[in-house]
Amino acid sequence: MVLDLTDVTPFLTWLFGLGWTDGAIFGLIPLIVVLLLVGGGATWLVAAIRRGRGATSPRAGAIVSTAMAAGIGLAVAGIVVWLLLPAKTTAAIQPAFLDGAAWLLGSGWYHGAVYQWLLVAACAAELAFAFGWLASAVRHGPVVAFATAGQLAGDAVLDTLRISPRRVAALAGLAVKESIRRRVIVVFAVFIVILLFAGWYLDPKNPNPARIYLDFVLTATSYLVLLLALFLSSLSLPADLKSRTLHTVVTKPVRMSEVVLGRIAGFTAVTTLLLLPMSAISYAFVQRGLAHTHDVLIDDLQPVRGSTPGQPASLQGRTTVVSAHSHKVFVDSATNAAAVEMEQRHTHSLPLQKITVGGKAMYRTGPAEGMLVARVPVYGKLAFRDRTGQPAEKGINVGDEWTYRSFIEGGSLATAIWSFQGITEDRFKDGLPLEMTIESFRTHKGIIEKAVLGSLLVRNPSSDKNKPVTVEIFGAKDFAIDAHKIPRQWQTAGGKKIDLFKDIVSKDGQIEIWLRCDDRGQYFGCAQADMYLRASDASFAWNFVKGYLAIWLTSLLVVSLGVMFSTFLSGPVAMLATLGTLVAGFFHDFMLRLATGQTLGGGPFESIGRILNQENMTAQAAPGVATTVAQTLDAVAKFGLYLLAAVLPDFSRFSLAEFVASGFSIPGDTVLTYACRTFAFVLPVFVVGYLCLKNREVAQ
Amino acid sequence: MQPEVIIETRSLSKVYRDFWGRQKVRALKSLDMEVRRGEIFGLLGPNGSGKSTTIKLILGLLFPTSGQALVFGQDAREVTKNQRIGYLPEESYLYKFLNAEETLDFYGRLFNMPRAVRRQRIADLIEMVGLNWAKRRQLKEYSKGMTRRIGLAQALINDPELILLDEPTTGLDPIGTREMKDLIIKLKEQGKTVLMCSHLLADVQDVCDRIAILYQGELKEMGRVDNLLKVRDVTEIRATGLTPLAQEEIRLAIERNNGHILNMDNPTTTLEDLFLKIIRESEEHPGRRVRGVGERT
Ligand SMILES: Nc1ncnc2c1ncn2[C@@H]1O[C@H](COP(=O)(O)OP(=O)(O)OP(=O)(O)O)[C@@H](O)[C@H]1O
Ligand SMILES: [Mg+2]
Repeated sequence: MVLDLTDVTPFLTWLFGLGWTDGAIFGLIPLIVVLLLVGGGATWLVAAIRRGRGATSPRAGAIVSTAMAAGIGLAVAGIVVWLLLPAKTTAAIQPAFLDGAAWLLGSGWYHGAVYQWLLVAACAAELAFAFGWLASAVRHGPVVAFATAGQLAGDAVLDTLRISPRRVAALAGLAVKESIRRRVIVVFAVFIVILLFAGWYLDPKNPNPARIYLDFVLTATSYLVLLLALFLSSLSLPADLKSRTLHTVVTKPVRMSEVVLGRIAGFTAVTTLLLLPMSAISYAFVQRGLAHTHDVLIDDLQPVRGSTPGQPASLQGRTTVVSAHSHKVFVDSATNAAAVEMEQRHTHSLPLQKITVGGKAMYRTGPAEGMLVARVPVYGKLAFRDRTGQPAEKGINVGDEWTYRSFIEGGSLATAIWSFQGITEDRFKDGLPLEMTIESFRTHKGIIEKAVLGSLLVRNPSSDKNKPVTVEIFGAKDFAIDAHKIPRQWQTAGGKKIDLFKDIVSKDGQIEIWLRCDDRGQYFGCAQADMYLRASDASFAWNFVKGYLAIWLTSLLVVSLGVMFSTFLSGPVAMLATLGTLVAGFFHDFMLRLATGQTLGGGPFESIGRILNQENMTAQAAPGVATTVAQTLDAVAKFGLYLLAAVLPDFSRFSLAEFVASGFSIPGDTVLTYACRTFAFVLPVFVVGYLCLKNREVAQ
Repeated sequence: MQPEVIIETRSLSKVYRDFWGRQKVRALKSLDMEVRRGEIFGLLGPNGSGKSTTIKLILGLLFPTSGQALVFGQDAREVTKNQRIGYLPEESYLYKFLNAEETLDFYGRLFNMPRAVRRQRIADLIEMVGLNWAKRRQLKEYSKGMTRRIGLAQALINDPELILLDEPTTGLDPIGTREMKDLIIKLKEQGKTVLMCSHLLADVQDVCDRIAILYQGELKEMGRVDNLLKVRDVTEIRATGLTPLAQEEIRLAIERNNGHILNMDNPTTTLEDLFLKIIRESEEHPGRRVRGVGERT
C-alpha cells in the first residue's frame, strides 16, 4: 500500500520539516479545525471573487504593487541590517527570532520542502513583479508602471481563482480531439510493433531475464509517451496562433489561465489514455514472455552419489532447456518430494506433475516462481574493521577508482558490519532472510571455478563485550543475489545452541551482521546497499503500477513544460526548449558540481583560458589580470548555473523504473515525494505559461 | 437623451513592430469614435486601411500602442466583456476537425452555457444559417460560404448585445448576402449594436446608420449615411400640375408658389462616388482631413 504509515512519516518530514508538529499551531488548534477554516475561507473567497466584477482596478493594482514593493524593501532592508549589524548582535537576534518562530511553527519546519518551495516561489514572484514593472516603466514611465504591474499581479490571482471547470473541460476536450486528429493512435501502433519485434532485443541467455523484460517495456513506454507529450504539447498552441483559430477562442469569455490549463489537462488526458492500455499490455507481455515450464525425463534421472539420509532427494538430473536455461532437480522417488534449483533468478513451483509425451514418462514443473518480485528491503548501516580488527572508516581501495564499493581483505580480521534496526519477532517469524550482492576481487587466480569463501557472523550490539557468532560459511556468487537465511535457532561449531531472538537480537530490536572473507589474498567488495533483509514482498503488480505512475508524472511535467514554452516560442523552438530542459535536468548533478566548483580546471572561462594557453587542467592557475578576470566571470557564470540547477527539475531522479526492473518495491514515500515534486514544478510552469500568453498579442 | 455609448476609442493608435521592436507599419493613427447602443456602424476603407486592426484592438486581440479602447465602459483587454460580444473574424478561424454541431457546442461551453440551453441554441442557429443538411460534416469539407455561415452562427451563440463583423458578406452568394444584410437589420431591430467593416459599399449603404471612412489608418470621414450622401449645392425638384407651356417659367412659377411642389431636396450621390472622391482627395493631399461633404452628427 502507498499509505503505509511507516512510508508516510519520512514523506511528511520531507514535506514539512523535522519538528513542525511541536509548534503551537499544531499543538493548540486541532488540525481539522484549521482545515475546515482554510477550506471554508477559500470557498468563500472564490465565491466572492467570482461574483465580483471585472479586472483589478488601478487602485487595487497600486495596493498590490505597494505590497510587493514592501516585500522587496523588507528583504533588502533585512539583508542590509544583517550585513551592518555586528556579528554578536545578529547571533543574539537569530536564536531569539527562531525561538519565537519555533514556538509558533515548531522547531524544524524550515527544513521542510513546503517552506523552501514557498520561499523560492515568493522570490520568483517578487522577481517577476520587478521585471513586469521594469518592462512597463520603459514604455509608460515608472508611476503608471507601478499600477500596471500591480494590476497584472492582481489579474493573475483572479485569473487563477476564477478558472471555470467547464471551460477548462471544453478546452481539454478540444486538445484531445486535436490529438486524435494528429493520429496519436500511431504511437500505440508503434508500441505494439516494438513489442512484436521485441525478440530482437531481448537476450534469453541473460542471467536476469525479468530485468531485461521490464527494462525493455518500461523504456519503450516512457520514450514513446514522453516523445508524444513533447510533440503534442509544444506544437499545439503555435499552430492555433498561426491558423488564428485562437482568435475565435479568446474572444469568448475565456481566461488565458484556462487556455493554458486546458491544454495541459487535455494532453495529460491523452498520455493517460495511452498509458493505461500500454501498461496493461506491457504487464501481460512480461508475464507471458517469462512464463515457461520445464520437463525432466524420468529415465535420465541419476541416483545422488553418497546421498545422505535426511536429504529429501535420492535422484537428480537436469530439466529440458527452455528459454535458454535448464534447472537442476532433485526428486525423492519414494515420496515424490522434489526440489528445483535456482537458475536465472527463479525456480519453479512444485509438485512435479507426471506426464507421458510420445511414450516417455516425464515430470513437468509448475510455472516459474520468484521472477517478478517487489522485494521490500530493510537496509542497515555499514561500518568496517581493518585487518587487525580495529574500527575503520572504510575498507581498502583495490585500485579501481570508480567503484563505490570498499574492500575487505581475505584471511584477516577485516570485516564489513551492517547494523540493522527494528528487528522484531513478529516481523521475522521464520528468521532473517538475508540477501547480498558481493563483489569478489581476486589477486590470484586460484581455481576460477571455485567460489571465494566467506563467512557470515551475527553479534548482539547491546554490549561491546558480546562476541560475534558464526552462522554460516558460504561460497560467494559473483554478479548474483546471494540469498541466505539466519535461522531462528542453530548450533555453533562448538556445539552451543543459539536462539536468534533471545541471544542475538538486542531488546531494542538491533542486530549486527558481520561479513568476512576467508580466502587469503582474495577480497570482498561491499557497499551499504549490498546487504539487506528481505522483510516481505510487496505485490509485483502494484509495484508495476507505481513504475507507470512515475512515467505518468514525468509526462505531466513534459506536457506542462511544452505548453509553457509554446506560449511564447514557435512550435519547433518550443520543442527544442523543452527537450533542452529535459536534458539539462538529466545532467542536474553535473551542473551542481560545476556550479559549486567541484570540477577540475575551474569554471568554463578559466577552462577556456587553460585550453587556449595549453595549460594543465589540474595545475594551479598563474596569478594575473587574465586569471582574475576569468575567475570573476566564472563566479558569475557559476552563480547563474547554480540558480539554473536550483530551478530545473532533477530528471535523473525522476525515474522509478530501476526499482521495478531490479525487483525492489518502490517505497510509498518515494512515490509521494515524486508526485509532490512534479506538482511543485507544474504549478510555477503553469503560472509562467499563463503570464506569457496573457501578455502577448494574440493577433500579432 | 443620447443612447448609451457601447464602444469608445480614445486616440487609439497601433504601430506594428517586428521581433526587434523596429517600427513596421503605422496601422492606425489616433482614432476617436463612438458607437452607440442600437446602431449599425460601418467601418469603410480600402485594403490595408486599418479596419481589421481597429476591430482587433476593440476585442483585445491586439494591444494599443497608445490611446485606449473601451467596450461597455471597460478596457478592451478585460475578458468579462466577451460575455456580451459576438465576433465574426475576417475569415472564419474555426477548428477544421470539428463538425458544425461540435463547433457550436465547443463555443457554447466556453460561455459556460448549460447543456439544455446550448442544445436548443445550436439547433436554432444551424437552422438560421441554413446548414441543417451539413451539420454532421467536418468543417474541412465546407465551402467558403458554408464556413462563413457557421462562423456567423458561432458569433451569435451567446445572443450577444454587441456584434463585430469583419467583412460579413465576403464569400457569400447573392442570396446569402441578402440574408446577411436582412439579418443585420433584424439584429438592430432586436436592439443589438453592430459594428461591421467592409469594402463592399453597397452593403454598407444598405444597412449602416453611420459610417467612418479610414484611409491609411486615418479617419477621413464619419457621420450618418443619409447626411453624408446628400449633395448640398444641388436642389432637386419634382413637381406636377405644370403645363408644358409653363415649363419655361418654372422658376417664376415656383417663386410665386403657383406650382404644387411635391418634393424639394438635395440629390444623393452613391456611396461609391463619395468613397472614391475621398480616396482621391486623400491621395492628392496626404494627411489632410476631408470635411464638408457631410456634416458630423
Ligand atoms: N500582424 C501584422 N503585422 C504587421 N503588419 C500588419 C499586421 N496586420 C496588419 N498589418 C498592417 O496593418 C495595416 C492595416 O491592416 P488591416 O488588416 O487593419 O487592414 P484592413 O483595413 O482590414 O484591410 P482589408 O480590407 O484588406 O482587410 C496594413 O498595412 C497591414 O499590412
Ligand atoms: Mg481586414
